Amino acid sequence: MNLWRDIKGTFQPFWVTLRYLFKRPVTISYPEQKRTPPPRYRARMILTRDPEGEERCVACHLCSAACPVDCISMQAAEREDGRRQAAWFRINFARCIYCGLCAEACPTMAIQMSPEYELGNRDPLKLVWEKEDLLVDHGGKDPNYHFYRHSGIGVAAPRGGNDDELPPVNIKTNLP
Amino acid sequence: MPTLIIDNQSVTVPEGTNVLEAAQQLGIVVPHFCYHEALGAVGACRLCAMLFIDGPVKGMQMSCMVEAKDGMVVSTEAPEAVAYRGQVIEWLMLNHPHDCPVCDEGGECQLQDMTVASGHSVRRYTGKKRTYLNQDLGPFIHHEMNRCIQCYRCVRTYQDYCGGTDYGVLGSNQRLYFGRFQDGPLESPFAGNLIDLCPTGVLTNKPYRFTSRFWDLQEAPSVCPHCSLGCATIPGARFRELQRVRSGNNPEVNGCFICDRGRFGYDYVNHLDRPRTPLLHGEEIPWSEALETLLQRLKKLIECHGSDSIALLGSGRASLEANYLLQRLSEQLGSAAPVYGSHAGRDRAARVATTLPTELSASLADVRNSDLILLTGADPLAEGPMLALAIRQAVRKGARVMICDPRPVELPCSAEYLACQPQELLQLLSALFQGETLPIKLQPLAEALQQAQRPVLIGGGDLLGAEGNTALLAAAQKLNREERPCLAMVLLPEANSFGAALLAADGPDFEQLLADMASGRIKALLCLEADPLTDCPDRQHLLQGLEQLNFLVVLDHLPSLIAAKADLLLPTTALAEGAGTLINNEGRMLAFTPAFSPGEPLRITGQGNHPPRSFSTTTPGALPCQAWAVLAELCDLPVDLAKIQRDLATQEPRLAGLPDLLAEGSGQLIQSADKPLAQPQARRTDQVDALQLLVCETLYGSELLSAHSAPLDPVRPQPYLLLHELDADRLGIAADDLVRLSAGEIQLTLPAQLSDRMAAGIVIVPRLRRTELESFYPGQPSQPCRVEKVSAP
Ligand code: SF4
Ligand code: SF4
Ligand code: SF4
Ligand code: SF4
Ligand code: FES
Repeated sequence: MNLWRDIKGTFQPFWVTLRYLFKRPVTISYPEQKRTPPPRYRARMILTRDPEGEERCVACHLCSAACPVDCISMQAAEREDGRRQAAWFRINFARCIYCGLCAEACPTMAIQMSPEYELGNRDPLKLVWEKEDLLVDHGGKDPNYHFYRHSGIGVAAPRGGNDDELPPVNIKTNLP
Repeated sequence: MPTLIIDNQSVTVPEGTNVLEAAQQLGIVVPHFCYHEALGAVGACRLCAMLFIDGPVKGMQMSCMVEAKDGMVVSTEAPEAVAYRGQVIEWLMLNHPHDCPVCDEGGECQLQDMTVASGHSVRRYTGKKRTYLNQDLGPFIHHEMNRCIQCYRCVRTYQDYCGGTDYGVLGSNQRLYFGRFQDGPLESPFAGNLIDLCPTGVLTNKPYRFTSRFWDLQEAPSVCPHCSLGCATIPGARFRELQRVRSGNNPEVNGCFICDRGRFGYDYVNHLDRPRTPLLHGEEIPWSEALETLLQRLKKLIECHGSDSIALLGSGRASLEANYLLQRLSEQLGSAAPVYGSHAGRDRAARVATTLPTELSASLADVRNSDLILLTGADPLAEGPMLALAIRQAVRKGARVMICDPRPVELPCSAEYLACQPQELLQLLSALFQGETLPIKLQPLAEALQQAQRPVLIGGGDLLGAEGNTALLAAAQKLNREERPCLAMVLLPEANSFGAALLAADGPDFEQLLADMASGRIKALLCLEADPLTDCPDRQHLLQGLEQLNFLVVLDHLPSLIAAKADLLLPTTALAEGAGTLINNEGRMLAFTPAFSPGEPLRITGQGNHPPRSFSTTTPGALPCQAWAVLAELCDLPVDLAKIQRDLATQEPRLAGLPDLLAEGSGQLIQSADKPLAQPQARRTDQVDALQLLVCETLYGSELLSAHSAPLDPVRPQPYLLLHELDADRLGIAADDLVRLSAGEIQLTLPAQLSDRMAAGIVIVPRLRRTELESFYPGQPSQPCRVEKVSAP
């Protein structure tokens, strides 16, 4: 019954089109109209700041290690007060597949996915974002987390000065 | 040989092996911290627990503390053992700062690995964490005590293995502290090994701090180029920059350790002024044009002045293959055989060293196992630092060490010191050879030699020279008997001095070349990674000779003095960027492989900030080529390292093993020469009255490559002059006085240091590159000099 199938195949699509002519459209006229993506939408990344307003990223390389397409590169450096920071931090959004693995790997909550998706561009270099472009002035989804308040090596708080730490031991005492 | 069963597999191990090692032999991964193959076991970390089911011991035991015995049945996977180890990890993590993201050990941290492996992920304990204050341990090592797990590896490395005394464990109870009595740089020249040995991030590499992650580094098995011992190393690079060097493992040479010169001398590779493009009279030209110009110029000179007008100069810095191709090039051009080494005395001394039969040649492993070590004119810490560590291991097993030297030779272990004049060393060695009785003051030595079972004679090529080396080797052969082997070792100036000397055979040396250059016969000179301007003691003649050249070609990766004068400069790769072979002072061929490709480090192109925002199809500064490849092109040979090695092996039967050499492993000894050893000449010694100036190598500052390394800057010594206290008294000089030294035409003002542990009548100055002491050359007979106190202004 091939003939019957062909006839059906010719007319059915027209019928579908005709039906939808009388329904409300699901598309919007982008870019005149824009949609607000949900807050947990996975689009371009941001580098957030800790509650004290300092850069959260410690350039630990975990996001770049987690990235399946190798689009993150960075160089760590030491600030005068011993804080580890990125000397530079670069994401190539032309390569990024927005999988969110970097944000998942980040131990300091620094790198987060933001809902900003409008990255279309004709110049590939404009898709290469540096630290300055990525940094935002807020804490993103977890504004209260402060890495150095939990890992005690005396950067944000003096040595032994975090809530879960005892003051430095006196190694010269012989008392039990 | 006990046989035991571990995890249902049976294994037979040598007597004295512990159960942990036995399990490792089966390929079972046993979690452990405090056990280390070079340090042994102490049972401090409690992590290697296994369940002993049957046999002489039963129950949960630390496998590193139990000697393997027949009939043992052991399980590493028993649920009790797994739970026990998990608990140990949980305890160790109670006080840990949980700061892996900012810890340089992250990614290569044994604690991280073990924690993940044990499944521990949440800190259940709610009490507070113990914290410590850190110390400043100097320019090489960063201290972060909060990460410590009290495994004692650092103490055992530093104090037991390396012989350092200024770092240890302090405190008691819950307050154990691993550090120094007070802040200050670690004194041991082997302190860098703490970085490799500490299983956590307490002791990390300071110059490398926050530079890269382990997983981002490009690493490859390589050989240290900073002395003639040829320790196995693993250089690590990222972003076209050599960022660190860690120790490889060559059981016959360095074991698992290297010295700080080898560890922190790498930065010459990243030097800002390093030649990176072919330059013709200072103008950049493409490689093809450079090679064409080179061949044309040489041909033209040969047409006008004959093939004798071309001279080729190899060196102990260049690989064996590149040095060999220099020979092929000379054959092709019809010129005289290449000269190897710009210091004729050192070259001759090295040539003697190559005549030693391999069965008499001592490796560092042999030194570690010997029971009497005689050092004649060898200063291990300066001329081959890891030798000092090998000697220490022998002493720990009860060996005696006797030092006969004019210099105050220091070792990281106890040793008997007999101050000798340089000429006395020769007398001593020829007396040993002749079987004569030794002078009274050397009697203890004669007795010790009588009793020793495995003596090793060690000489330094610089002080002994060719004549002394001949005597040393002959003496070793004489003392070597079936029932009592006696081995010898000679320290040479450069990593491949042996290889270069082997190729030199009976060829011309640099003195002949100088004479030819001075007479104007030589019109073109090609220097292969050689810098006569820093190494040739006869500077005046050299400058005259260089004046007369029409064409100076330099292949090098250092911004050397001769490179600055070159008509044609061809940039070559550094050791870590290329492949090839070196032969160490023992006659062991050691292969190295490229860790990364040359290029201008991103730190330079990016000027500290992000990499340039531009696309290009080329890498900046990527033009340096491997020297052997350049020479192969010049000789019109296929650019194929394996083929070159096969050619070399057929041409030089002593190198027959070269094509089969592997980069991993312990290298391969070359074959003995078929000639008998030369006999030392009887020697008449002149009595000398004047003060004699002796120029010596030092640990830091003398070796050429590491002299270009920034991480070593803080430890390089300032120029000084060393005098015997008696001489100083006579001249009215006190310690730290400024004195004027006049030797030949050179006059210098230097601060004086005094010692009573050296030969009298000798003035010692260190060879310090890139200081005013650069104009003094080691490896020369001592010369008369005058020292007088500079009166206060
Ligand atoms: S994982 Fe987070 S802290 Fe680490 S480098 Fe990436 S953004 Fe920075
Ligand atoms: S020592 Fe290891 S576990 Fe501890 S912070 Fe460093 S990397 Fe992490
Ligand atoms: S400093 Fe390192 S090697 Fe020393 S005890 Fe602590 S963890 Fe072990
Ligand atoms: S002993 Fe010599 S070869 Fe070994 S690491 Fe030190 S400088 Fe390098
Ligand atoms: S390795 Fe056995 S107790 Fe540490």
